[in-house]
Amino acid sequence: MTTVPPITDAVPSAQAPRRTHSLFAPDKRTAARNAQESRFRAYGLVAIVVALLALVWLLFSIFSAGLPAFRQTFVEISVQLDPAVLDKAGNGDRAEMASVTTIGYGKLIGKSLGLELAAKGIDIGDMTPKDLVGMVSENAAADLRDMVLADPKLLGTTVQFTALAHGRIDGYFKGRVTMETAVRDNSTSPEKLMLADKMVAAGMMEMRFNTGFLSMPDASDKRPEAAGLGVAIIGSLYMMCVVLCLALPIGVAASVYLEEFAPKNRWTDLIEVNIANLAAVPSIVYGILGLSFFINFAGLPQSAPIVGGLVLTLMTLPRIIIPTRAALKAVPPSIRDAALGVGASKLQTVTHHVLPLAMPGVLTGTIIGLAQALGETAPLLLIGMVAFVRDFPGAPLSGLFDPASALPVQIYNWTQRGDPGFVERASGAIIVLLGFLIIMNTAAIILRRRYERRW
Amino acid sequence: MKDLRLERDVQTETNKIEARKVQVYYGTNHALKDVDVDILDKTVTAFIGPSGCGKSTFLRCLNRMNDTVASARVEGMITLEGENIYDPRVDPVQLRAKIGMVFQKPNPFPKSIYDNVAYGPKIHGLTRTKAELDEVVEACLRKAALWNEVKDRLQSPGTGLSGGQQQRLCIARAIATSPEVLLMDEPCSALDPIATAQVEELIDELRSQFSVVIVTHSMQQAARVSQRTAFFHLGYLVEYGETGAIFTNPKDPRTESYITGRIG
Repeated sequence: MTTVPPITDAVPSAQAPRRTHSLFAPDKRTAARNAQESRFRAYGLVAIVVALLALVWLLFSIFSAGLPAFRQTFVEISVQLDPAVLDKAGNGDRAEMASVTTIGYGKLIGKSLGLELAAKGIDIGDMTPKDLVGMVSENAAADLRDMVLADPKLLGTTVQFTALAHGRIDGYFKGRVTMETAVRDNSTSPEKLMLADKMVAAGMMEMRFNTGFLSMPDASDKRPEAAGLGVAIIGSLYMMCVVLCLALPIGVAASVYLEEFAPKNRWTDLIEVNIANLAAVPSIVYGILGLSFFINFAGLPQSAPIVGGLVLTLMTLPRIIIPTRAALKAVPPSIRDAALGVGASKLQTVTHHVLPLAMPGVLTGTIIGLAQALGETAPLLLIGMVAFVRDFPGAPLSGLFDPASALPVQIYNWTQRGDPGFVERASGAIIVLLGFLIIMNTAAIILRRRYERRW
Repeated sequence: MKDLRLERDVQTETNKIEARKVQVYYGTNHALKDVDVDILDKTVTAFIGPSGCGKSTFLRCLNRMNDTVASARVEGMITLEGENIYDPRVDPVQLRAKIGMVFQKPNPFPKSIYDNVAYGPKIHGLTRTKAELDEVVEACLRKAALWNEVKDRLQSPGTGLSGGQQQRLCIARAIATSPEVLLMDEPCSALDPIATAQVEELIDELRSQFSVVIVTHSMQQAARVSQRTAFFHLGYLVEYGETGAIFTNPKDPRTESYITGRIG
């Protein structure tokens, strides 16, 4: 122990040959390495340019097709609500008034429109009142009927009624419908388009911002002009609330347990591998699971945001757990030592020190997970959220069990429809969805900046 | 070895910590073998020895920080004032409030200076009112010789201080729970000579109230601050005794080789 062997310096036996090259002229190897590097840079630049071009093309095509959905043609008509037609019994009883269908109201609109056009001195040629009804959306009669049934005192008065223009008329102003296509079209005619031009000149018809696109429910195949995202936005909002309320606490609790408390053994290794694998499971598999468990076994209603939210929670959980665990791992062990050293319990160490430091990572993971869930379509198709829903779901919490739609499913649904008006609607809905995603990602960045601390 | 303070008389105090036949295993690796040490009250005890000799491991046994290492296993007996700290009835959380620890690298919480010191008293419920807590914080910062430097910026982050200040903040944090023993694991290895001198001076002052155990790689430091020194080598406690005796008249040839710089 006491004697230490003397240190002997090892002498290298072989030596690399020394170069006799000037520093000013690069030798062959250096030139080759430099060329390799500049080639690599060029590849990188090309890749970035291709990616940017693809992005620009995507945004251009979506916005050029979708922006018109936010503007809509409206017709101002003063309608005389004739009690002789609308309330045949004459007693103002709502139940009896409801026997007048939208066809009756449609005739009234056609008549009023004819009178108004005549008053403004606009020549309608040989168009009948029935043709004139075709100027406005089929939804207009239903809207008028709802208005009268809601307030029967309106009977006998003349109301200023703002009707949606027919989808083809609207398309004419947006450049989708031309005189040539109108000739072959059953739903419209060149005469109607020419009349529309005159009505615009007379101030009876105008295009303005379409709040209905965000607030109205979906409409049938023949009425793209009346289709809106109202039900889909509420459905998506409800689902995101369910996902946030379930996935965040469960995901964070699971991560904290696995990272800080669980013993490191074969079982926890197995769980860890499985969580990583679950994040890669195709989302439609979660849809089948949701269908068989939540609907068939637990008996929850179809098309309901609660089921959609539960399925998306299952899908989002691993996507929250993985970044949360990474964030917990990134907290330096010296902080844990410090807290334990002054006598904090394990839970106090986690809640007072480790979790707050991991918060930026946790929140970023959560919001990215939510954003993915917001755009998820496949599992929702399987649990019936693709159904045509016109009724708004009720207020929470019972509203969570009412049928609703979801933004991505609504987009999918609209792309299946025949009327070309829905192309514009679907692209508009994609813009809305992208808008929500941008808001969520911005929130993630802001939260991360705010909570970021140095240690 | 001019720094030796041979003239300092060592008061023979009562034993604070007694360790008997302590064995530590990391998995199958037998890291610490048959360690018997008596640590005296109100005394600075230094652990010296080459890297990997088990001195930090033994230090971490004294407040059961080794519990946090899943593969570590401790055998033998360590008593604090006659109570076995590895008894199943002992809550390590309570033990660590009695035996404070300062780590190698300054590790203040990423919170304000005030909150760093106030954290221990808060979680142990040592103070009743805010005023009491303020007093404790001030007293601890004064004891750690930091008060004058930080009294105007108690709410600024502890991580913004210089390395030496951070380490003194960690000492203030450790003594805020009024421990009986203060463990220091190479507290000066990340500090410059001036900050080291400040911390050493501080250790000497703390001796009046606590029993201090310090692990150090610097033999000069051990000679300067400690009254008792233990030399560890390859997991064995080779020699333990009064600092002056260890440095001037080591009994074991291994100790002699180490302190004269021939092994390690």
